Amino acid sequence: MGTRILAVEDDERIRAAVKLALEDEGWQVEEAANGEEALLSFAQAPTDVVLIDIMLPDIDGFEVCRAIRRTSDVPIVMVTARDDTHDVVAGLEAGADDYMTKPFAPKELSARIRALLRRVRTSEPGNLHLRFGDLEVVPDEGVVRRGGADVHLTKTEFKLLVELASSPGRVFSREILLDKVWGYDYFGDGRLVDVHVRRLRTKVEADPANPRHVVTVRGLGYKLQT
Amino acid sequence: MVTSAPQPDRPRRRFGLRGPHLGLRARITLAFTLSAMLLSVLLAGTTWALTRRNLIDQRIAAATRQAYLNARIMQPQLRGSQSDPDAILTSLSSLDTQSGSRSVLRIGTRNPRWIAQLPTFGKDALPPALRALVDKGTPARMTIDVGGEPQMAVGIPLPRVDAAYYEFGSLVETNRTLESLSASLFGAAVVTTLAGTALGWWTSRRTLRPLAEVSVAAEAIAGGRLDTRLGAVDDPDLGVLVSSFNHMAQALETRVDRDGRFASDVSHELRSPLMTLSASIEVLASRRDDMPDASAQAAVDLMVADVGRFKQLVEDLLEISRFDAGAARLDLSEVRLGELVTQAVSWSADRDVPVQLDSELAGIVIRADKRRIVRVIANLIDNAEKYGGGATAVQLRKVAGGVHIAVEDNGPGVPADERDIVFDRFARGVGANRRSGTEGVGLGLSLVAEHVGLHKGRVWVEDRPDGEPGARFVVELPVAWS
Repeated sequence: MGTRILAVEDDERIRAAVKLALEDEGWQVEEAANGEEALLSFAQAPTDVVLIDIMLPDIDGFEVCRAIRRTSDVPIVMVTARDDTHDVVAGLEAGADDYMTKPFAPKELSARIRALLRRVRTSEPGNLHLRFGDLEVVPDEGVVRRGGADVHLTKTEFKLLVELASSPGRVFSREILLDKVWGYDYFGDGRLVDVHVRRLRTKVEADPANPRHVVTVRGLGYKLQT
Repeated sequence: MVTSAPQPDRPRRRFGLRGPHLGLRARITLAFTLSAMLLSVLLAGTTWALTRRNLIDQRIAAATRQAYLNARIMQPQLRGSQSDPDAILTSLSSLDTQSGSRSVLRIGTRNPRWIAQLPTFGKDALPPALRALVDKGTPARMTIDVGGEPQMAVGIPLPRVDAAYYEFGSLVETNRTLESLSASLFGAAVVTTLAGTALGWWTSRRTLRPLAEVSVAAEAIAGGRLDTRLGAVDDPDLGVLVSSFNHMAQALETRVDRDGRFASDVSHELRSPLMTLSASIEVLASRRDDMPDASAQAAVDLMVADVGRFKQLVEDLLEISRFDAGAARLDLSEVRLGELVTQAVSWSADRDVPVQLDSELAGIVIRADKRRIVRVIANLIDNAEKYGGGATAVQLRKVAGGVHIAVEDNGPGVPADERDIVFDRFARGVGANRRSGTEGVGLGLSLVAEHVGLHKGRVWVEDRPDGEPGARFVVELPVAWS
């Protein structure tokens, strides 16, 4: 069985065309015309990726995103009509992993989906355990513990943390993180990194306002403090 | 369609050439000055004239009184000792005269003898007309000049003793008083005039201050701050101006808003059908090679190309409408300039353009909106591709206060009179009049100007400095070199 994408879009024609194009790319596409249908469909069948239009008639896209995030770490791609800061940041803060702005090329969307589905790669084989103070990362098992308790991260948050943990103390620029985590070239949106770092901190930091692990290096990027 | 013929230049009022056409403020000040001057001159003149007459009259009356008194004193002595000039002279000298008064006596008519208190003020100092009058028995007085000093001579005939008494009274003191009075009055007139000028200046400033505020507000509106309004005023005369100005500003703002929203709304509405087109055309394009019909293949190719162009146009329109709505904001971050330019070139239509980097700039980090600068460079390279036969080089130079990013081509160049309008919306170069497949939508360079302007930079086009044919577009971004 192929990878199953749930496409939530209220415009019938767009939905049909996107489904055709994505199926051409080899994905299996499930359609939902509104938020309620989307949540129902998500609960009924296993889904690998969710594509949500922010402008939905009943429950808006942000709310659908938050509802899915409460139960799942499935990769979510938001579709926005505008690339305004407000919509993009709000979508990412609602839990989306990436976003696309209409009108996008389905090939580009496919590339994004492939990048999101890519598994975490570690350079060293074997059961690697990384420790940073009270933080413990096991890349191969996809496990993060803080003070011994499991921390639940989305796939993208986890990839981001593992990437930073691969060279503790090294400063990663936004461009490098966009490339390594999201598969973007130089022109990715730095806000993806910023919002994900913010989300990551709320989970791995004792005090997210004064991070001790994932710290900002002003003007340069982020690093994981040892 | 209405066409307007070029209007011949209507005669205009030319200020400063034909006469003293002054500004309102100068005119108000001048009016106050002239009024104050007129008033003070009138007052000073009247005061002077009245005072002068009073003073002189007083002086004359006093001198005349004194002369009569002295004449009466002298009369009996003349009767008694007519032949003793020494005694008479002694009496003359003992007369109670005012300071500066000199007495002269004429004794006898037929063969008169003159006895003067002082030789200077003798018979010869008396004007003949006065003497003639007195000789006829008429008391008289006259203002004369003796030794350069103004004097008043009073002559009183003494017929009973066949003599006449004359007395000189000095007017020097009176004249001096009048002089100092006129000086004071002149000074007062000057001060009053100056005060009038100052008052006029102040009044004109106060009167014109609302106009200055209107002018500042109008400039602000012209500068794009459309929400500028004038504050309420109590003055009913100004209230009319303020309310009509604010009304105009409101109408303008509403209209600009509406126009801006319209462009934005249209672009948004276009996104949905474009999304459908974009996805559908991809499905068709992937099956293009399976199509048996060459016409169908050509049609698919055309659609692919024009859906792309359509998307770009909608993106550009949305970008422009954000600028027009004043909603464009810089998303600043630290970027490595050299890397940014290299990446922008590799992303553009012509990824093989050589990038010439000033060695001073290697590794330099500036604060800029990455996305916008990438668009600027890509649009300039696209422009060179469309109109200049392709970019030949992208140069990065450090200059005082900033950096220059220059894109050169070896096309026909841009004529001097088109160098400003190439940055206008939907402006196309002369080489682009023919509709060709590579023709753009004409928003690229205007967006370049907007993006650069948002960075407080400049963009212009010039000839290539090496003398080769072609255009050189230069973007100047300000950088505070420390």
